[in-house]
Amino acid sequence: MASGKTGGLKRYHDLNGWLFIAPSVALIGVFLVYPIFRSLYLSFFSGKGMMMKFAGFGNVVRLWNDPVFIQALTNTVTFFVVQVPIMILLALMLAAVLNNEKLKFIGFFRTAIFLPCVASLVAYSVLFKSMFSVDGVVNQALMAIGLIGSPIGWLTEPFWAKVLVILAITWRWTGYNMIFYLAALQNIDKSIYEAAKIDGVPAWARFFYITVPMLKPVILFTTIISTIGTIQLFDEVYNLTEGKGGPANSTITLSLYIYNLTFRFMPSFGYAATISYVIVIMVALFSFLQFYAARDRS
Amino acid sequence: MNKMILSRLAAGLFAGASLLASTAAFAGEVTVWCWDPNFNVAIMKEAAARYTAKHPETTFNIVDFAKADVEQKLQTGLSSGTTDALPDIVLIEDYGAQKYLQSFPGAFAELSSKIDFSGFAPYKVELMTLDGAVYGMPFDSGVTGLYYRKDYLEQAGFKPEDMQDLTWDRFIEIGKEVEAKTGKKMLGLDINDAGFIRILMQSAGGWYFDKDGNLSIADNAALKAALETTQKILQANVHKPSAGWTEWVNAFTSGDVATVTTGVWITGTVKAQADQSGKWGVAPIPKLSIEGAGHASNLGGSSWYVTANSAEKDEAIDFLNEVYAKDVDFYQKILADRGAVGSLLAARTGAAYSEADAFFGGEKVWQNFSDWLAKVPAVNYGVFTNEVDTAVTAHLPSLGQGANVDEVLKAIDSQAQGQIQ
Repeated sequence: MASGKTGGLKRYHDLNGWLFIAPSVALIGVFLVYPIFRSLYLSFFSGKGMMMKFAGFGNVVRLWNDPVFIQALTNTVTFFVVQVPIMILLALMLAAVLNNEKLKFIGFFRTAIFLPCVASLVAYSVLFKSMFSVDGVVNQALMAIGLIGSPIGWLTEPFWAKVLVILAITWRWTGYNMIFYLAALQNIDKSIYEAAKIDGVPAWARFFYITVPMLKPVILFTTIISTIGTIQLFDEVYNLTEGKGGPANSTITLSLYIYNLTFRFMPSFGYAATISYVIVIMVALFSFLQFYAARDRS
Repeated sequence: MNKMILSRLAAGLFAGASLLASTAAFAGEVTVWCWDPNFNVAIMKEAAARYTAKHPETTFNIVDFAKADVEQKLQTGLSSGTTDALPDIVLIEDYGAQKYLQSFPGAFAELSSKIDFSGFAPYKVELMTLDGAVYGMPFDSGVTGLYYRKDYLEQAGFKPEDMQDLTWDRFIEIGKEVEAKTGKKMLGLDINDAGFIRILMQSAGGWYFDKDGNLSIADNAALKAALETTQKILQANVHKPSAGWTEWVNAFTSGDVATVTTGVWITGTVKAQADQSGKWGVAPIPKLSIEGAGHASNLGGSSWYVTANSAEKDEAIDFLNEVYAKDVDFYQKILADRGAVGSLLAARTGAAYSEADAFFGGEKVWQNFSDWLAKVPAVNYGVFTNEVDTAVTAHLPSLGQGANVDEVLKAIDSQAQGQIQ
């Protein structure tokens, strides 16, 4: 009798619970789960636009024989390997400096460095494009101070185009990461530093042996977020190169290639879906590696 | 970095939904998507005004997007199958016509039975024909010309007669003279755009594909000559490099370069610089030094297509037929106002075509363009022009660094093979 009663109550709670979450479950199902499985299904098909037929692992084979894919993969990895460490280190150093209460105009500096990440992605890309054009202000300034003799083709030479993309995303996202570190630095107990000072630990050692280890969870978090962001890099290269990833495919990223395969070229939805799974695998792999590298060794 | 895409998608959805609502509320409204407010949009507005004068119950909603946005929205709408969000009439660039017709069968209305296509330039009709049926309304032509600054060339010692019947080698020599005497570069070149290569290639009757649409790169004499010429220009350094369309346009509107070789549709942009009136001339484009090469070529050009599931399909077709296929006076107006060279052959007998243009120092430029139009070699644009274009632009920088042209052709070939499946 009693068990029947609680069973009824349990069913009542279960039902209510499910009713409460039903709308979000339905929305997640339709807009998240379904597309994920649908794109996996799509990746087994190939053909022109809507004229698709089953291709099995044909798209995976195509990946190996596609020089543009290899180029896009190489570029993406290059951006990630070069840019993420530079940005994280820069953000960490800036945060440590700007955490110093004795510094004047600290609010101004914090705001100034954070401000780029509030800028619209498209707006700043367009701005960078005009600043770094052959006769733009950057070349003129560099020539005026005598650093270079002739203008650098920031957007017309493959090497410099890569440099420009890295510059652009570093400028945009360093402040964003710095804010995380600044917040975390507030939580480090000042007495630890005081104790270290009394023991005669120099400033650089306090940074590497106290600040960095104490910030480890935040560093891990920002590294993973930045990794995912860089692997999915799209807006900056799209706007800097008018959607082409040029010159000579030197700035094409996987996401931009997916976009081109879907919207600019003869639409090959299946192949584009296959490449999007490459991104998924890469993100999972790199995140796992970072978790593994930062694990607590006991 | 991903939020941007999401918000764009959302904006697209809302735009689509509001479009749907407006078409439902006003029966008889024809929605048109096109790009370039100074050209296609303005011309479509002129055409709409002419039609509503006779059919007051029809209204038009002409939507101005960037070209890439029109293509993206169209491709998204077609592939998702939500045809409600699509316009009644859409502008498609000729290079992409077969791509849409072949990858989305049944998406566009067949017009063969409703419109007489015999009056149009045959190459235009052919590129919108699939399995014997015609799917579009031919619009503007991209017949090319060499626009040059008479004042700069005069300073360098060249008269307009010297600009006729050039070869590209001679063009480069002139370019060196011009730079020595005036300090100006001869032309602007966008290293991310293969348009210049396509002009050269088509002027010798070649394309990335043969007549049957098969990839033809490795043994393509016209493409090889086009690449060699581009290499000579890059190495002679008579060009001003530009990154993207805006910079490229800016190179000649600001007076930094002495010539522009491109499609006739640029006329409006050239003439927009009123202070440069009388300083420009137009000559036939230089010739490649291979057999079968000529002075006529084409770049771009686009046509109107009616979507098959449009509620106002019949009205839209009637509109296109009445204005674009019959109204010769309309073509005079858009030529005089916008520099649009249509592909309706009858239009060329009209008055505007034989008039002299004061901006070009009283030259009869339109007569010239229409003569050259008749000589444009017909080629098969195939369905993969964008893909091969990407392969070509990917190898342009190495050309400038002196790479062997045969090696570059091989590299383009292998990249293109990987792209088109």
